[in-house]
Amino acid sequence: MTIDAGTRPELGLLDVETYANGNPDTYGLPLDTYQWYRDNEPCSWQEFDDPALIDALWIVSRNEDIWTIDRDTETFATDRGYVNFWKVTPVDPTMGGSPAMLSMSGQDHKRNRGVISRGFTPKVVRRLEQKFRDYAIMVVDRAIEKGTFNFVDEIAHAMPMEALGDVLGVPPEDRAKFFHWVDQFAAPFDTRITPSFDDVMIAIGELMVYATELAEKRKVEPGEDVMSQIVKASADETLSEEEMMGNVALLASGAAESTRTALSHGMHELMRNPEQLAWLRERATDVPDTVAQEFVRIASPFTHLVRTATRDVEMHGKTIREGDRVAMLFASGNFDERAIENPRAFDLSRSPNMHVSFGRGPHTCLGKHVAALEIKILLEELMQRTRSIEPAGDIDYVRDAYSRGVYSLPVTVKPA
Amino acid sequence: MKVTLDESLCEAHGECVLAAPEVFDLDDDSDVAVLLDDSPPEDQRENVVMAARLCPVAAITVED
Ligand code: HEM
Ligand code: SF4
Repeated sequence: MTIDAGTRPELGLLDVETYANGNPDTYGLPLDTYQWYRDNEPCSWQEFDDPALIDALWIVSRNEDIWTIDRDTETFATDRGYVNFWKVTPVDPTMGGSPAMLSMSGQDHKRNRGVISRGFTPKVVRRLEQKFRDYAIMVVDRAIEKGTFNFVDEIAHAMPMEALGDVLGVPPEDRAKFFHWVDQFAAPFDTRITPSFDDVMIAIGELMVYATELAEKRKVEPGEDVMSQIVKASADETLSEEEMMGNVALLASGAAESTRTALSHGMHELMRNPEQLAWLRERATDVPDTVAQEFVRIASPFTHLVRTATRDVEMHGKTIREGDRVAMLFASGNFDERAIENPRAFDLSRSPNMHVSFGRGPHTCLGKHVAALEIKILLEELMQRTRSIEPAGDIDYVRDAYSRGVYSLPVTVKPA
Repeated sequence: MKVTLDESLCEAHGECVLAAPEVFDLDDDSDVAVLLDDSPPEDQRENVVMAARLCPVAAITVED
């Protein structure tokens, strides 16, 4: 089905209801609406009437334009407020948050990213691999004993949380409270998860206090984790205390829930596409990288991110004025037939896969290799330890138009 | 084909190594990628062009 060129779809591109009541046949995404905008209004002015949200912004929906904007950080700045269409985020210093690499530019961005990325070198990632495998085995075996369960809570939640704990260097005894804080940011507007926005602010406050304590601990016993890198960098004043806070908040809010989302949407599609599941099972001992990339594409865990224009720019006949906010609609770019062949198909062997879920510019996701590794290892253990995985109910999405979380995905598994 | 890597731009994103492992490498302890072969054989063209396209900071250029 496509929407007639003359009729502008009634649903907004970032309307919460659109995503909360998403159609499972189209990955929970309004793919026809996206297509209409890409074809008829690829740069579209949208207004919002909600005190928690931005007043208005341009939404850019074509894949190629998203690459262009993400790469041109001089014209489309990251450091002038607004990370997404929420008014308040923990990493937006213009709204009371702390500066994180995602909300910086130029040399500051380079300096911050340089420090944190030392916790993500190929050597560190190789060492994480064994730990990830242990977690994967643990969560899969625990779930198999239950037989029927919510895939999101039992499997997709634990793996990325433990991985984030490892990356940051959170000791095992602190993980339960750490996970609790992280869960509060995952969906600040879904009251089933976070009763009110105050809970988000409380969790951020507690996490920040904890981060300071953890930094003290790592001063005494340094490791290879990100916190130890941060501590080293604060010692020689490469990184300020505020920046430490911001980057910890960034990792806490961006790393775990996104990977959980990718795993959940991916699992959902596997169960709907038996031939893809069979293809994956044949490769269960060494899952190809294309699989994680296709999970991440169809999941589009963050629907969009926002930039601010630093000068007037023409785009598809519209004039974006200096100071205007511009959203890169990743979820639409991931289904743009101009860049992705047969985009509505779920194809685990897709290559190349020009998706934009991790961004494509200087801010491109620092954890993307870690996320892909988590997905690969979890699938290897899941495929090898089970004979079958079947739906035990309908998928239910998180109420949010930024983060594409899955609230529940009931499944029944049989051990191998 | 002539390949150049601008080390002052490179931020060790590693996309190039994934796209063209025979032409680019990234050491465990280095902050920038290494160009293993600045005039790679023709059969590497597709990989190198992809690497240049994927590099998030446009540090790679390919001539003829
Ligand atoms: C499937 C999972 C994930 C998705 C979809 C995702 C997505 C993103 C996106 C869209 C950005 C911004 C890119 C841009 O502006 O161009 C980003 C940045 C970032 N991500 Fe991820 N992410 C994921 C997992 C992770 C993980 C596991 C980690 C860390 C362990 C992580 C750490 C970061 C950091 C530190 C940044 C900021 C980079 C910068 O500003 O230079 N992410 N991510
Ligand atoms: S892709 Fe670009 S930034 Fe990344 S390592 Fe290669 S040259 Fe450097």
